[in-house]
Amino acid sequence: MPNLKSADVVIVGTGVVGVAIAEKLLDAGIGVLMLEAGPRVSRAEVVENFRNLPLARKGDPSSCYPPAPWAPHPMPSLETPEDAYLQLSGPDKYAQTFIRYAGGSTWHWAGTSWRLTPDDMRLRTKYGVGRDWAFGYDTLEPYYARVEHLLGICGPSDPGLQWPPVEQGTPRSRPYPMPPLPFGPGEQRFTEVAASLGYKNIPTSQARNSGMPYDDRPACCASNNCVPVCPVGAKYDAATALGRLESKGAVIQANAVAYRVEANAAGRIEAVHYLDQDKRSHRVAGKLFVLACNGIETPKLLLMSKDARHPNGLANSSDQVGRNMMDHPQLTMTLTLSEPYWAGVGPVVNSGIMETSQGDFRSEHAGAYLRFNNFARNRFVTFNALNKGLVGKALDAEIRRMTACTADVVLAHEVLPHADNRLTLSGKKDWLGLPKPAIHYDVGDYTRKSAQVYSVPLGKRIAQAMGATDMKIATKFAQSKHIMGGTIMGHDPRDSVVDPDCRAHDHDNLFLPGGGAMASTACGNSTITMVALGLKAADAIVRQMGRA
Amino acid sequence: MKAFLHRVIPVVLGLVLCASAGASRRFDAATIERGRYLATASDCIACHTAHHNGAPMAGGLVMSSPVGDIVSTNITPSKRHGIGDYTEQQFADALRKGIRADGQPLYPAMPYVSYAALTDPDVHALYAYFMEGVPAVEKAAPHTSLPFPMNVRMSMKVWNALFLDPQPLARTEGRSAQWLRGRYLAEGAAHCSTCHTPRGALMQEKKELNMAGSQVGQWYAPNITPHPTAGIGSWSEAELAQYLRTGRLEGKSQAAGSMAEAITYSFSHLEQADLDAIAHYIKSLPPVDLGETGTPGAPRFGQGQAGHALGEVRGQGYAAGMAGPQLGAQVYSANCASCHGASGEGTRDGYYPSLFHNSATVGKTNLIAAILLGVDRKTADGHVFMPPFGDQPNALNRLSDKEVAALANYIGVKFGGGDASVKPEDIAVIRQGGPRSPLLTMARVGMAIGVLVLLALAFTIVRRRRGKVGA
Amino acid sequence: MTISKRRFLLGAATLSAAWVGWGAMPAWGFAAGTESNASFMQLSRLLVNHQLDDAVGARIAQTAPLLHPRWSEMTRAIIAIAIGRQAQAVEDFFEAIPEGPLRDYAHWVIFAWYSGCASPKKDAQVFTYEQALTYRVTGDAVAIPSYGFSGPNLWHRPITPLSPMPVF
Repeated sequence: MPNLKSADVVIVGTGVVGVAIAEKLLDAGIGVLMLEAGPRVSRAEVVENFRNLPLARKGDPSSCYPPAPWAPHPMPSLETPEDAYLQLSGPDKYAQTFIRYAGGSTWHWAGTSWRLTPDDMRLRTKYGVGRDWAFGYDTLEPYYARVEHLLGICGPSDPGLQWPPVEQGTPRSRPYPMPPLPFGPGEQRFTEVAASLGYKNIPTSQARNSGMPYDDRPACCASNNCVPVCPVGAKYDAATALGRLESKGAVIQANAVAYRVEANAAGRIEAVHYLDQDKRSHRVAGKLFVLACNGIETPKLLLMSKDARHPNGLANSSDQVGRNMMDHPQLTMTLTLSEPYWAGVGPVVNSGIMETSQGDFRSEHAGAYLRFNNFARNRFVTFNALNKGLVGKALDAEIRRMTACTADVVLAHEVLPHADNRLTLSGKKDWLGLPKPAIHYDVGDYTRKSAQVYSVPLGKRIAQAMGATDMKIATKFAQSKHIMGGTIMGHDPRDSVVDPDCRAHDHDNLFLPGGGAMASTACGNSTITMVALGLKAADAIVRQMGRA
Repeated sequence: MKAFLHRVIPVVLGLVLCASAGASRRFDAATIERGRYLATASDCIACHTAHHNGAPMAGGLVMSSPVGDIVSTNITPSKRHGIGDYTEQQFADALRKGIRADGQPLYPAMPYVSYAALTDPDVHALYAYFMEGVPAVEKAAPHTSLPFPMNVRMSMKVWNALFLDPQPLARTEGRSAQWLRGRYLAEGAAHCSTCHTPRGALMQEKKELNMAGSQVGQWYAPNITPHPTAGIGSWSEAELAQYLRTGRLEGKSQAAGSMAEAITYSFSHLEQADLDAIAHYIKSLPPVDLGETGTPGAPRFGQGQAGHALGEVRGQGYAAGMAGPQLGAQVYSANCASCHGASGEGTRDGYYPSLFHNSATVGKTNLIAAILLGVDRKTADGHVFMPPFGDQPNALNRLSDKEVAALANYIGVKFGGGDASVKPEDIAVIRQGGPRSPLLTMARVGMAIGVLVLLALAFTIVRRRRGKVGA
Repeated sequence: MTISKRRFLLGAATLSAAWVGWGAMPAWGFAAGTESNASFMQLSRLLVNHQLDDAVGARIAQTAPLLHPRWSEMTRAIIAIAIGRQAQAVEDFFEAIPEGPLRDYAHWVIFAWYSGCASPKKDAQVFTYEQALTYRVTGDAVAIPSYGFSGPNLWHRPITPLSPMPVF
């Protein structure tokens, strides 16, 4: 029986990866204690936080999640350089956000669940760049199917509309549990335009209840608020699983900031130490440990855990902990169109052109995935319309026109792992006195070249075909908040942190599943792959505990 | 000749095989199918199947009754754990007399007082279905053990003698075939009165108040007599039939709780002619008004209007809203408005119902139950689902008794034409399974008194004898 | 008539409590004074020719003095211009509002009703979210985020034309 002092398995982090692993272990009869740095909040509170925000802040997904002082997370629309949490350097800003609450960052994710393709996992072999994964798509496929049924991921049954594409020889072992969500009118129009250029705008594989309740949660009612929070729980977020985990016997300790993982002389992990909101320290013992804190907090915790035997931090004989930080650098095209599209009908991300992420050009430059962002446009255009000095009917007409006839199309790129894209512990301290993370980042020429010769020209062609009368394309990459790479997976302990089961090479009873383990980013959002790795790790943990 | 035999022998062999196969099946497909339809009309599955992937008809559903929890039995044809060994007579006795094969009475949670109306051919068809149409499940259902003295089943024999009418459908003249069919289904198989008829002190149905409304566990089965204000007099027969088929009448009412279940598993599968017949019969009942719910004199269907209290909650922060005097408005905005609209109007397409012009918000009980338990109703049109807000693992938000009471008062006043009379104690009662019957306490007190009387009697007799001896 | 010391102290205490209470009330919760509210609503209805909620107006009126100290005077002045022009709609008189603080104030009032906020800044006071007019302009075609738009999977529809403008 787990209690607050010890458990069979201690899981640090109650995000989607931690929660998926916890459920698998509980079902196998293993006792689980979960430590969560931040607070447990109700959906009601988050929804009202959002509604009470000034219009200017409604576009920042972190705004309705004010951090607890002891569990800071980046707050880009509020931070001054003085109190910023992430200490960023390098030509590109690794300005990530994540939520340190029980339930983690899936509180505000869009639900997008693109699988990797076989090519995505063999960049080195096929294109001579980046790293190969330690296993192939066929190994990961059954885990993808399990994740789809666990979270409730909907998608098309027509292989011509599925991802990975039929051409890569990847038949699905199980159909999607729910059919795709309908396109809104803007997406429908975008699909037609894309088709006229020979591209398929396919339904996004997404963790959202499509036309029916699933997982004891209601169906999507198109409130278009997925980011920052689904008011009804139709979108899967890890917070929805917490009640069920507790009914299965999990002990969840909120407001518990892990600051040190304790290893013994033999390299076995013995305990995790955490600080509570009164700055008191607690020690939790266990047989096996999982760090699922997200791609910034996990490597940070390993580095903070350095001791005499591990001067570079735990699990770090490879010196790769905190290195190879990756994301999906994105460029947004804001278009003014000559006809109404009406983004904002349905979920916020509901379709995408994925085929442009694949191809032989990947030996030269990154691929890109294009998506028509389906956020309702009022908050993007209202201030601009009012600024034009219009009144009365002209003002109404302008707001209506701009809401209907503007759209964002996002180009999301892949990035290669570089040792110098690195997270270290800065000299600055947070409220608890723990070091704030410092991250140096450069998206790299591989990605910059893609923007120059491939993705932006492609975006422009599509914008023209859409009838854009005005086009503004970002010149600097923004971050997608898909944090990958800091505890990278490989066969060789000299250049990787974890093995194919996300077990730390250096510590037999320490698992580091999630985005940090991903060896390549591809272009599609990383969550489904993270959870698939989590389930794979969970299977390994069950086998390992069975022998223990 | 050889060619002839080559043709005939396979045919003869085939016939012999068919006959011997037929010998192990006692019932033909048509009878079993009729039994299946009658079992659907009788909604056996709703009680005799555990929720969350229970095997059909294998029992194990725990039902909260005012005198304790009753667990349904395995009625699959398993010989060890079900009714596989029942003769047709034993099956008929269980169904219509409430007597098990071992002679012990059943509790009237099993609506045998209604099923007593079933005809012999229909009982036969049901028997055929349960013997050969239902897969046997080799798993025992847990036993029911009510608190003493309710666990003394033999007392049910007295109850049955008082309240079980072996011919519950009175003879009648000049009624149409449709009306007779409707009565047979409504009073018999569909056992509407089991929920909708108020009960007396010994938990018997009060026949003179037939269908006038009754509390059943956490939900209130409303007045469905054709009374114009207290009942469904404002509904046409066609509307009632539509409600039974779909569970929804836009701008009037929708089914939740046990009625949603009845629609999902039973009514939505019945033939249109049978639904029309039931509607026709129900609309012919004597109108009754118990004066219990809603505004006296006003039907529960057209009440209320759109409205909001956004000024009370917007711009000041959630914590302030939850701590302030407008708790109900804050809870509504944070938990309900995303589906039911900021002003209670629902969605434009009417899928998510408005909370005004909605009988669910008139009167306390069903509003509280809907908030705590949600709505779950499946028909051919789709799966309607409102999440619960109680203590369930999938509660969208766990609301306290105080929060639910404030919310119910807000909704009741804003949209239900009512007053703010809900208290946190009312929520606690529904949350724990509904009002408890005093019957249990009365029985125990009654028995205690009885024992004291006997002791006093015995004491007096002994004293007298001693006196005589001594004299 | 003399009052007892006790009664006096009680009365004083009551007054003090009311004063403290008044000060502690949320800024939007106390009507600025019915007369100035009525005047502000009259101005609002002249500048914004739509159905306007008095409760939202009261909250905007609450903030107006903080950003536009001469708001009361300016309100009267603009109303006078509109009356002078016998204006039926804002287009009839807006050009006649002199540029400078008066026109800025008029634009601010319009801004407040359409955006639901006091400014485009991140720390702006929020008057309303759901009732901000920008959402009324487009309410037939897109959701107000966080409010359900249709039944499950029932939102597929043809493109709503820009005309007609919803009536609100």
